[in-house]
Amino acid sequence: MCGIVGYVGPKEAQPILIDCLKRLEYRGYDSAGIAIGGDEINVYKTEGEIAVLEAGMPQMPGVVGIAHTRWATQGRPTTENAHPFQGCEKGVAVVHNGIISNFMELRESLAGDGHNFSSETDTEVFAHLVEAELKEDSDLLETVRIALKRVEGTYAFAVVAPGRPEVVAARNESPLVIGVGNGENFLASDVTALLKYTNRIIYVQDGETVRITKDSVTIMDADGAEVKRAPERIAWSLEDAEKGGYPHFMLKEIFEQPAAIHDSFLGRIDAVEGDEPFLDGGSFSSVKIVACGTSYNAGLVGKYIIEELARVPVTVQISSEYRYSAAARENPLVVLITQSGETLDTIAAAREATKRGNRTLAIVNVTGSAITREVDHVIYTRAGPEIGVAATKTFVTQLVALYLLAIELGTMGRTLTAQAKRSIVGQLRNLPRSVQDVLNQAGTIEAMAQKYSGARDMFFIGRNLQYPIAMEGALKTKEISYIHGEGYPAGELKHGPLALLSKDTPVVAIVTNDRTYEKMIANISEVSARGSPVIAIADANDTEIIKYADDVIFLRETPSLFSPVPVIVALQLWAYHLAKARGCPIDKPRNIAKTVTVE
Amino acid sequence: MFGGILMKAVILAAGEGKRLRPLTVSEPKVMIPVANRPILEYIVDALVKNNISEIVMVVGYRKERIMSHFEDGKKYGANIEYVFQDKQLGNGHALYCAKGRVSGSFLVLAGDNIVDAQAVADLLSSSVCPSALVVESENPSKYGVVTIEKGTIRGVVEKPQDIVSNIILTGFCCLKDSIFNVIERCINSGEYGLSHALKSTLNNQPIAPVFSDGLWIDAVYPWDLLELNAAALENANVKTAGKIEKNVTITGPVSIGEETVIRAGTTIYGPVMIGEGCDIGPNVTVFPSTSIGDNVTIEPYTMVKNSILMSNTSIAAHSYLSHCVFGYGVKGKSHLMGAGAEAYVNVGDEFFKVPHMGSIVGEDTEFGTGVIVEPGTIVGAGCKVSSGAKITRNLPNRSLVT
Repeated sequence: MCGIVGYVGPKEAQPILIDCLKRLEYRGYDSAGIAIGGDEINVYKTEGEIAVLEAGMPQMPGVVGIAHTRWATQGRPTTENAHPFQGCEKGVAVVHNGIISNFMELRESLAGDGHNFSSETDTEVFAHLVEAELKEDSDLLETVRIALKRVEGTYAFAVVAPGRPEVVAARNESPLVIGVGNGENFLASDVTALLKYTNRIIYVQDGETVRITKDSVTIMDADGAEVKRAPERIAWSLEDAEKGGYPHFMLKEIFEQPAAIHDSFLGRIDAVEGDEPFLDGGSFSSVKIVACGTSYNAGLVGKYIIEELARVPVTVQISSEYRYSAAARENPLVVLITQSGETLDTIAAAREATKRGNRTLAIVNVTGSAITREVDHVIYTRAGPEIGVAATKTFVTQLVALYLLAIELGTMGRTLTAQAKRSIVGQLRNLPRSVQDVLNQAGTIEAMAQKYSGARDMFFIGRNLQYPIAMEGALKTKEISYIHGEGYPAGELKHGPLALLSKDTPVVAIVTNDRTYEKMIANISEVSARGSPVIAIADANDTEIIKYADDVIFLRETPSLFSPVPVIVALQLWAYHLAKARGCPIDKPRNIAKTVTVE
Repeated sequence: MFGGILMKAVILAAGEGKRLRPLTVSEPKVMIPVANRPILEYIVDALVKNNISEIVMVVGYRKERIMSHFEDGKKYGANIEYVFQDKQLGNGHALYCAKGRVSGSFLVLAGDNIVDAQAVADLLSSSVCPSALVVESENPSKYGVVTIEKGTIRGVVEKPQDIVSNIILTGFCCLKDSIFNVIERCINSGEYGLSHALKSTLNNQPIAPVFSDGLWIDAVYPWDLLELNAAALENANVKTAGKIEKNVTITGPVSIGEETVIRAGTTIYGPVMIGEGCDIGPNVTVFPSTSIGDNVTIEPYTMVKNSILMSNTSIAAHSYLSHCVFGYGVKGKSHLMGAGAEAYVNVGDEFFKVPHMGSIVGEDTEFGTGVIVEPGTIVGAGCKVSSGAKITRNLPNRSLVT
């Protein structure tokens, strides 16, 4: 998991590469490096984030270059293990995102030929491999293509060599795009890195090797045949990704949620006539949702929504575990949820599902991303670019997509009458207001979070639809505030976790006014009996709750099927303000990255 | 343009706008939509049209709503920088928050006064700084009134009881950065208003009055919004998208947003603006000077005229709304009556006779079936009114009417 960029053009490459690289910082930031081509290759790399690289590096003249920001997978985050890597003769420089799975074997073979290695990484092997093959008169693209035949694993590579005004790159399962400029061309892991310079983008596909020079782009498939592909114009502008007055992207994105929800259902819910269907017909005896991280939590909420509206059994599985679950019900619909559409575990699951002959549907935010080419149907969440590492608006729009899917499955399976559908759709249309009401209370939530920001551990409990929301609240809290957060179904507390409670472990309880209410009150009483402070999230008209809880976040009443949405927004603000009070780097939490393109 | 130097502008947008309550529950006054665009957008537009794109916005109350809307300003052709005024002490103090962000001559605008490009051009073309836009007012006692002698402003009298003149200071002016020293002295003596600071500069530095044929409208009270809305609709760009069913009659300029459905038998007389994702009809009638936001539902046999219905409102069948302002997410069941007429309206401690006004309803209020809201009443946000009730006086936020 890393970010790579490349540039060839008429301008000085160094400042452009650093500028592009900064926009990939969300992909990793424990070490970084840059290589500038010319008669000799000039490399500078360092432990630490891009700012450290920028401050330490000398001026490096040249118009060809590559750069890298790293999130360590193979080898510790040190200067030695930072990219770019060079061979023994400094005849090439290589940056890499992904994992070479047969690197031990290759390393031993290369060591046998007398190569010396300076790092612990898998990437260095590839630098030696290319250097060994590259002769003065050979073609760099062809050499890379041949070297790749020996490499197994996932990768996006970019390579420069001395005296060659070109960058060669290759992709297998790790994201890579080409940016087409005027008299200059770019490479990057992600479109956002390039938007300042160009919006004409070519998506490189698995197995392809590419060459960019200042005025040409060449793409070769795995067999060495040239591929012609026209650039696509990207509608997202760079401004979409700027902070606009907010101290953090995460807060900006939290406040964008009413608009994001509106966009995600706009034009998709004509209550009176038929909808534009996401699936063209068919019937399914069950649904299997496959996802990772926050998307997995969305899937857990989706289970309750689909079961309620469509009355088919739903199972939810972690992407990386899907392949081990052999049990196949007949004819399940496999729903894959991923924000970026590049999450490798989920893409692998999509391929596995296709292999098993199942219909697949992806819920994804990024248009044209890798997973959309692997599945039968796509629902775009239309959340716009999300920069903060903690998923916020992409989570709530995934929920909207799941509501829409459940409505369609319910209509197809005739479990949802036209009248019931009309009423559900009416409730869905009210969601932006419920979320705005939570945002209006940001100040109250901030004050409450400050009070509890000293905690080391924190529990989140809920029942029914609010159980996955408790999990998601705990996840948000862990990832940005570094407080150890645990989410549990409230009924599970007595089966173990109760032993961990004390007066120093605050418990956040979701007590919305539905059929779980009485049981939640009983669970809260169990918690208070252990002396733990209770923070309740309750409906505005609940006059009893204050007797049971130490602090209450009151939310306006929302029909129970839709109440997960305002509740998670309150918990996002809660996690944000805990992290802020603790001085954590909210948009770039340690050790995690936004799009995880390794297995 | 001042010797070709591009000027920056400071927009003061930190205040709540208390006299527009309950419409300011979740957003500042400057973000209230007229013709489906926030008031502040008109000001940014007027500046950009005059090539003033470097904007410093002083924000405070519910600042997120402003920042989420404008972001860094690129969408509007501007470059917006935000400064925060944590406590809304006064407009002089608000301007003082922008100290260090502007130098030399710069423009100052109140975010809640709509100005058009002409007014900005007139102030710029006077080529004198300091200068201030002044207008003749029918009701000068609400404002700072100026006396003009020999082409310069001699004095400013705040909210005079006796008639001094009918020329008032608009709050739109061109100032030099030395004003910050003056404001600092005023703040130290407990005066936070900008007009106080301007008054104290008059002794050493004359301020040139600038008259303009351009537009300057101040929205102070809720019923002002309807006037502003009607004026904005006259100049709005018409764009038609969405789906229009058979037997729909549309006359005059009517904008319809993406993914909106206008159902059979509906009649719309422009100027009317309808946002995106709305569901209107069958058999609804919309009369002129009405703005309808996004995601609004209006059910059969309902009639709406000269009103603002903000996003996410829904009005059920057989309702009648005239001269009304409904905030975000208001829900009316069937037979909701909000007629307009001459009314005595109570705002804060004051009473006003308004020639024609319906009701003002705060966001997320819900009405049961057959509710009558008397002309001139202001219903708070988040109220719940049961079926058959008759609302004859103002209701505070979150009232329950049974």
